[in-house]
Amino acid sequence: MATDSDKQTSGSLLPKDYKTYGEIVWEQFKKYKLSYWSLWGVAALFVLAIFAPILSLNVPFYISIPEGTGPANLAGVSFPWFKALFDVNFFESGVDIFFNSLIFTVPVVLAAWFFISPRWKKAMIKDKYKVYRTNFWLASSVVVLIAALIVYMVQFSQPYVDYQSISKMDGVSSIYPLLEFSYRDVDLSSVGVSPNGVHWLGTDDRGRDVFTRMLYGTRISLTIGILAVAIYTAIGMVLGSIGGFFGGRVDLVVLRLIEVMLCFPSFFLILTLRGFVENASVFHIMIIIGVTGWTGIARLVRGEFLRLRRQDFVQAAIALGYTRTRIIFRHVLPNALGPVLVSATFGVAGAIILEASLAFLGLGPTTAPSWGQILTVGRQTKLWALILAPGFAIFVTVSLLNLVGEGVRDALDPKMRR
Amino acid sequence: MTTYIIKRVLLMIPTLLMIALIIFLVLNLAPGRPGQTQVSADGMQSSESTEARESYRIFKEQFNFDKPILLNTRFNLTEADVRSRLEMRVKFNKPVCPDTGEKPEGCVPVDQKPNSADVIKAVEEVEDWGAYIVPELVAIAADEQADLLLRKLAVVNLAANAQLRLKSQYGRKPTPEEREYNDNAQKENELLRSWRPSNEMPAEEFNKLVKENWIPWLEKNKQRFEYSGGDKVSIFFTDTRFAKYMYNLARLDFGVSHVDKKPVLDTIGGKLKYSISLSLLSILLAYMISVPLGVWSAYRQGTRADQTVTLILFMLYSLPSFFIAVVVLELFTVGTPFKWFPTGGFGDAGADTMTTLEQLKSITWHLVLPLLCMTYRGLASLSRYARTGVLDVIRADYIRTARAKGLGEPMVVIKHAVRNGMIPILTLLGSLLPVLIGGSVIIEVIFNIPGMGLYLFESILARDYNAIMAVLLISSLLTLVGLLVSDLSYAVVDPRISFD
Repeated sequence: MATDSDKQTSGSLLPKDYKTYGEIVWEQFKKYKLSYWSLWGVAALFVLAIFAPILSLNVPFYISIPEGTGPANLAGVSFPWFKALFDVNFFESGVDIFFNSLIFTVPVVLAAWFFISPRWKKAMIKDKYKVYRTNFWLASSVVVLIAALIVYMVQFSQPYVDYQSISKMDGVSSIYPLLEFSYRDVDLSSVGVSPNGVHWLGTDDRGRDVFTRMLYGTRISLTIGILAVAIYTAIGMVLGSIGGFFGGRVDLVVLRLIEVMLCFPSFFLILTLRGFVENASVFHIMIIIGVTGWTGIARLVRGEFLRLRRQDFVQAAIALGYTRTRIIFRHVLPNALGPVLVSATFGVAGAIILEASLAFLGLGPTTAPSWGQILTVGRQTKLWALILAPGFAIFVTVSLLNLVGEGVRDALDPKMRR
Repeated sequence: MTTYIIKRVLLMIPTLLMIALIIFLVLNLAPGRPGQTQVSADGMQSSESTEARESYRIFKEQFNFDKPILLNTRFNLTEADVRSRLEMRVKFNKPVCPDTGEKPEGCVPVDQKPNSADVIKAVEEVEDWGAYIVPELVAIAADEQADLLLRKLAVVNLAANAQLRLKSQYGRKPTPEEREYNDNAQKENELLRSWRPSNEMPAEEFNKLVKENWIPWLEKNKQRFEYSGGDKVSIFFTDTRFAKYMYNLARLDFGVSHVDKKPVLDTIGGKLKYSISLSLLSILLAYMISVPLGVWSAYRQGTRADQTVTLILFMLYSLPSFFIAVVVLELFTVGTPFKWFPTGGFGDAGADTMTTLEQLKSITWHLVLPLLCMTYRGLASLSRYARTGVLDVIRADYIRTARAKGLGEPMVVIKHAVRNGMIPILTLLGSLLPVLIGGSVIIEVIFNIPGMGLYLFESILARDYNAIMAVLLISSLLTLVGLLVSDLSYAVVDPRISFD
């Protein structure tokens, strides 16, 4: 595989229909229709997760309170929904604040892309366009992340206002999201309601709207799934490449470590670790899954390194006197990424199930609206909506991810090329 | 083969040691302590609280929680260390100075008042330091310049810390000599406890108590609290939680549970049969169904039937087992709409009075649903592997040869295709085992089967360290044995593989 610097210097010498490895894989992947559409399904899940507050939140987008009605300081027109999104009293978890910031940054980035990309495409040759495209997406992800981080660091908070009762007063006009519920406000007057027009999936044992909780639960599941896998992929890649590249005694230590971790029934270990964290947050859970799950990736990367190390292009790089870091990161690692990608995709599905299992046992994130936790309540209250909805949501998410994983695996396999 | 097995078994020892180390570190570096009673820092000398503290101290001593984790440097503690901890507690119990008006005697300014978390930590530290700080405590008690409350506190702690440890108090039965030693120690401890000052004791009387009892006692027992260089080295390494834990492990002593005070090994021995029978049956069932299913589907590759089976298996694989378990429990046990199976447990209550056949029937009845929930995911992935395995070999030359020489189709399939196609799915046995043992937690919790998984879950909730350590170690050992068995099974199936 050509590295970035090679591409830039020799771009014009390449044949006209030259494709990078990534492009070949992407083309192959598109041929697996089911997997391709599953990828869009996963994207749709992300859209649901990001835009959840537009569907359901108990704060109005717009409210106009005439003078003399309600609290004096709120009189006039205001837009409380926008403030509530970044209010740490309202969304106490960093995950929610992050997704809420995406409501604004993602459309901006997409709009910028659709505005710029046709112009760039027209003005540039193909290779230059590709470089610009990569840089655009890299830069915009960094900007989006920094924006989310800043919003979280500000720790904005405001006094609580009961907008719903104000809206019912005379002369007050307001526009609410589709559903006027919060995922954590307890309402003891409507406990265990069956699905109906107001509560689409009914309410749980504390009168919280289940549909809203499911919606916000998507955020928790996706975040834990992806970040936990990112953590263990990072650990596995570092350990695996160290073992595979250096070999000898280092390799022996890494292998021993893998073997030891492999012997633990992993769920036992996860349970034990979780048992000793009090008031676990979403981040604790993903770290726990992350530090216990890296063995598969480490073995994979180690194997790939052992295989690639003997190949000519690596030998050539060594002969050219490149530093070890350069050889590892620019020559060997990119070629080992394929199998890691497949394993990580299946891993996300696995991590989502793990998180749901923990939450089902009552050991999930303590305050977050997790799917597994909803299912536990369903089991205790015997409400079918509370059993079927989370079960179905987990099933759909996991199937979509598994289908994507199968597509990626087949697309990466040269024997399966169509 | 025998040499290979011996080699593997010997290799298990370092692996198990590493595992023991990891478990130890995870449990001991985690915040919080097991069985921690609600320790309140106030009411410091009421007899009730002294007794509660005493029983908590004995609890810590029994489970070695009073010891440092890895290395012990307590022989280096100075009087200043001890004094600062005691002063913190004394300060905590004094009233806070009011902002205005007359200040009561000995009040503490608001900003100097320690918070309760620090005080609790200080109390624990003084307790845990045990006999190592006895000379320092006596010195504080004898210091007539110091605050009387501080000195009294020092003596109260002294009465606890100076006590002799009994031999073989927990665990096996003491020998006659040990019992004699224990009797004497008990008497001495009784005496020490009686030298505790009361809250109201006036200063002169307290001075007398210290001068007449404690100082001569320390003179007499001086050699107990003096450490030579060799002693220090041995204390540094061996008087720690880690050393005690490893020493106990070497004797195969997993300790007793904090919860029911029974040896955990006995408890686990009783529970192992449920978990193992569940996992083994599940594996057996998964292989028995998935291999024919995989072969069947491979022989119909591309047909509608094959596609349907593949799709169903794929969907099964994506369904979380706890969801299926809850659904079947609701459907088939509580009577809406069916009441075919019992809701949980491993057999009926009156199992002793039943005949073997009835027992078997009862157990089977209880196991149908748990087994179903435990098996289907493994089954789904195994069938897919079996299908690919058979597809790989089905076009091989030797299959064509077998057909050409006139073998019947069943013979071709069973002897030539399946046997070769199954090698890859045997390798999965090794990775299936830890998953099954781990996954059994959820099934055992939902169906209330008293196996290892449920035991671990309950122990974690109760923070029962010894039980958690034992379950993790034994399940890892089981996994190691399972991996060995799966490696050996290659040689049985594939004559090309030999370990000699």
